[in-house]
Amino acid sequence: MSVKNTVREFITRDLLMDPAMALGDSDELLLSGLVDSLGAMRLVAHLETAYGIKVPAEDVLLEHFESIDAVAAYLGRRGID
Amino acid sequence: MIGLLHHILLRAAERAPEKTALRCNGQALSYGDWLRRSSALASALRAQGVQRGDRVGILLNKSLETPVAVYGIWMAGAAYVPLDPLAPVARLGFAVQDARVTHLVTHEPKRAAAATLAAAHGVTRVIGLAPGDDLSAEALRWADVPAGAAPAPKIALGPDDLAYVMYTSGSTGTPKGLMHTHASGLAYARLSAELYDVQSSDVLSNHSPLHFDMSTFDYFTGPLCGATTVIIPEPVTKFPASLSKLIQDERMTIWYSVTTALVQLVLRGALPQRDLSALRWILYGGEPYPPSALRELQALVPGARVSNVYGPAEVNQCTYYHVPALGAEVADDDSVPIGQIWAESEGLLLDPDDRETPPGEIGELVVRTPTMMRGYWNRPDLNARAFFSRRGRGQTEDVFYRTGDLMRVDAHGRLRFCGRKDRQIKTRGYRVELDEVESALALHPAVGEVAAYPTSDGEGSLLIGAAVIVRAGQSLNESELKTDVARRLPPYAVPNTIRFLADFPRTGTGKIDRRALAEQSATATQGAVEQTPTATWVGRVTQPEE
Repeated sequence: MSVKNTVREFITRDLLMDPAMALGDSDELLLSGLVDSLGAMRLVAHLETAYGIKVPAEDVLLEHFESIDAVAAYLGRRGID
Repeated sequence: MIGLLHHILLRAAERAPEKTALRCNGQALSYGDWLRRSSALASALRAQGVQRGDRVGILLNKSLETPVAVYGIWMAGAAYVPLDPLAPVARLGFAVQDARVTHLVTHEPKRAAAATLAAAHGVTRVIGLAPGDDLSAEALRWADVPAGAAPAPKIALGPDDLAYVMYTSGSTGTPKGLMHTHASGLAYARLSAELYDVQSSDVLSNHSPLHFDMSTFDYFTGPLCGATTVIIPEPVTKFPASLSKLIQDERMTIWYSVTTALVQLVLRGALPQRDLSALRWILYGGEPYPPSALRELQALVPGARVSNVYGPAEVNQCTYYHVPALGAEVADDDSVPIGQIWAESEGLLLDPDDRETPPGEIGELVVRTPTMMRGYWNRPDLNARAFFSRRGRGQTEDVFYRTGDLMRVDAHGRLRFCGRKDRQIKTRGYRVELDEVESALALHPAVGEVAAYPTSDGEGSLLIGAAVIVRAGQSLNESELKTDVARRLPPYAVPNTIRFLADFPRTGTGKIDRRALAEQSATATQGAVEQTPTATWVGRVTQPEE
């Protein structure tokens, strides 16, 4: 499964508990209130486990996690695609 | 002379019209421009029919329009009702109808919610949206609010006029509206400005949303002192490293937030990589700060004083405690004192019969302070219980607010928090009545019995757990129930975990033993109980027809 779909599945199924939700790649995850601060940290923890990487605190920035596109771009820079 | 809250802005704009008052997301507003925009909004609201004493809703993501709306509504003679932009629309609808809000200030990102409030909850006029077929209310875009309009209309307001109605969790299942006046709001601005020595050179951190009482420091106290307030957008508040970068880049000098936000900044804020040397004072409140975590904060930001702020939203603030450098002599399981009652105020500790407790013993804190609310909106039942009255000397009566917080005075004369009288909790800074959570869960038709209880978040704060007995013949799972309850409760009040049980532990009199449930839940989190469901512990329950 592509990175984007893996991330999408985690957000809709595990964070939002709504697997049927249509979540677009560029949808704002935060301003809409979709994901709260706890959810954001769970997403980071999930990516660390799923891809065997360590996301340092200085990388946990809004611009890396504001949408599925942003997460995929960040993972891409970490060599995951 | 400042007698009303909007005089704050009139005076600031007269003294320093060019000074930057507000910054948000790369945009800025000077005091002069802020006054012009608020005056124009006031004229537009008056033209739409707003009268003295009306309640006007504010439904905005954090933006420069937020403080423009606050002061514009006051200049129109009305009181603002801050609506949580992240709350479900049904909850907003409750507040709008309860406060009889017919006018709403909003913007396009909240269009869908505003349209629902117009269609189903009595809003008839909206500022901040383009008119459209989807909107039954009369609408005026921000761009069409007449710029350079005449000065704000003169309205005969007094200090006892209503300034804002803030909704908070209510134990009877519906939120309750706190009524604050120009007098109580202004008293808070004045007392907090003096206590924390706020100067025009200060840069304040608006971390709290408008529907949170802490925002009054940023929007009332800051401008009273001619300071600059940085409005932090909601998404930034969710990323500690982004937040710390903003504190650095904006050179913020006074920070004020709930405890959780600071705990997150220390844990995940990359603080060693940041230059926070401008920060001179850190204020926290809403929840206790574990000493071990507070020690870390002091070590990471050595140049800043740290103060504990306490006060229910009903009085905004009523005590202060300046935290000394916490050394090893303070045990990790000790607590940081609540401190002293602040200026112009009095606190008493009362026993259940309203008698003052003997020195050193625990009692409920009741406070008399000029920052106290007038009462709960349209709730004579609550108002009859919320206050304690004592006959003063002469013909006077002293009215105290009953905080519901149990405290004692320690050997150094400082108040110490000892728990709650009722079932109100703080979850990551948010105040929630567990009774309200239970009421919301019980509205699902498949729910038979329900209990809500606090659980630890592992970082010094609480989350909400719930246990449910499903009605015979019905089926329900955690995801369905969470989705359902999220339509009625704000995100922070939705239980983090919901367990489905065949029965609850009971006390000798047959009442649900919520303490035992909370303890079971704590054990389950540590152990592997939830991975090996037993007859009473299953993730999904379908009870057979009887």
